[in-house]
Order: sequence, then structure tokens, then C-alpha cells
Amino acid sequence: MTPAVQVGLALFGLGLAAVALRGRLLAMLLGLELMIAGVTVILTYQAGVFGDPAGLAAVVLIIAVAAAEAVVGLCLILRLHHAGLSGEASSLSELRE
Amino acid sequence: MREICFYLAGAGAVFFSALMLFQRGLYAGAACLLGALLQVGVLLYLAGSPLVGFLQVVIYAGGVMALIVVAVMSAPADDRDAAMWGVFSVPRPLVAGSVLLLGVELALACAGGGAPGAVGATGALDKTLGNVLFGPYALATEAAALLLFVAALALVSGPQRRAR
Repeated sequence: MTPAVQVGLALFGLGLAAVALRGRLLAMLLGLELMIAGVTVILTYQAGVFGDPAGLAAVVLIIAVAAAEAVVGLCLILRLHHAGLSGEASSLSELRE
Repeated sequence: MREICFYLAGAGAVFFSALMLFQRGLYAGAACLLGALLQVGVLLYLAGSPLVGFLQVVIYAGGVMALIVVAVMSAPADDRDAAMWGVFSVPRPLVAGSVLLLGVELALACAGGGAPGAVGATGALDKTLGNVLFGPYALATEAAALLLFVAALALVSGPQRRAR
């Protein structure tokens, strides 16, 4: 396993741990960004190794979609704050009930 | 020289990511994530694509992090949050040093000479990236652009709807 893949997997794992262990929605979103960063590292490295520009195209598209996801996620969190709800994921139980 | 920079940036990215995991305050976590994303930008640059590294720094470490800081600042500040607001589990100069580390790595990489991508990549992929994006992947590119546009609309229209 190459060092780039190791770093990417480590970033993905740490991001996954942040999503799973943190209770705050914003902290979970930060972990999600970290997971996407890990994936981009691996994809960029493999695109370079195989000389395939389609891999880089996938990375660019992932960055664009992830930016949109972050914007929408932060908008939803801001809405929750303005609605008087806390930023804890455990407080969002309306669908569960 | 570039391989040393690559290992340095990889260790920095993992270090700041692990640091983010153990931060209690959101602001401190966002600062650690900024350090990790800057190091990822260096990794992408060294992995053979300066353009993607540049996009990573501009979009993530710039735009998305600014939005995250705004969201953290607008979080409800009750007593518990106020106590956690400025809590850094690590010395603040260490987080500020992530920017310094970025400069050192880029300086070392440039001092090494040669084309980017000495760590296993060709470095010439950026030149064909446009052809691929607007060739076989044109539909996906347009869809991603439309998605970004809708997300920007959501960002703009949200506060206005609340104001009414």
C-alpha cells in the first residue's frame, strides 16, 4: 500500500470516527469533509499512477458536489439554530417517533 | 526533496485530523480542519495535480471553511457553549503553524525542481483535464455546476425567507 493511499485511508477513518463519535451536527459535517478529502487524495494519486485524466475529472466533480453538500448542510444547521433547536444530532428525533 | 515534502504533508494532514477529533470546541475543530485541508492541498499538488490542489485550497480551505466559521459563530451561545467557545486542547501557535508548514513544504517542493508529480504521477494530466471534463463527462460537469448554483440559491434565499 503506497503512502498516499495510507494517508487517504487515515483521513477517511478519522473523518468516519468524527461522524460516528461526535454528537454535534457541525462536528459531524467537519468529519464528512475530512472523509471527502481522504477520497480525493487517493483518487488523485491513482489518477497520476495510471495516467488517467478521468480520475482527475472525478476528483473535480467530487469537490464541486462536496462543496454544494457543505453549503446545503450548513444552511440546514443554520435553520435549526434559528428555529431554536440545538445543534445536537440526538435532538432531531421527529422522524424516529 | 519532494518525497520528504509528501511525507511531511501526509503526517501533517493526519496529525491535524486526529487533533480535530479530540477538540471539544467547534471553533478549535474548524481551525484544525483548516490545517488538515491545507496539508491535503499540498498532498494533491505533490501527487501530480497542482490544479486540483489549488481547487482544494480555494474551495475547501477558503470558501467552505468561511461558511463553517459563520455557522459556528451563529450557533446558540448558552453557558455551556460559552465555556467551550475558546477552548483549544492544543497551543494555538501549533494550529497557526499549519499555515507556516504549508509554506515550508511548498518552498521545499519548489526547491526540488522538476515537474510536479514526482511521487508516482505524471504531472501532465492537468492539461487533458479540460478535454475530459467537457468531453465525455460534459453532462456530469453541467450537473455539478447546476447543483452548485442551486446550493448558492439556497444559501442566499434562506435568510431572506426568515426575514419575512
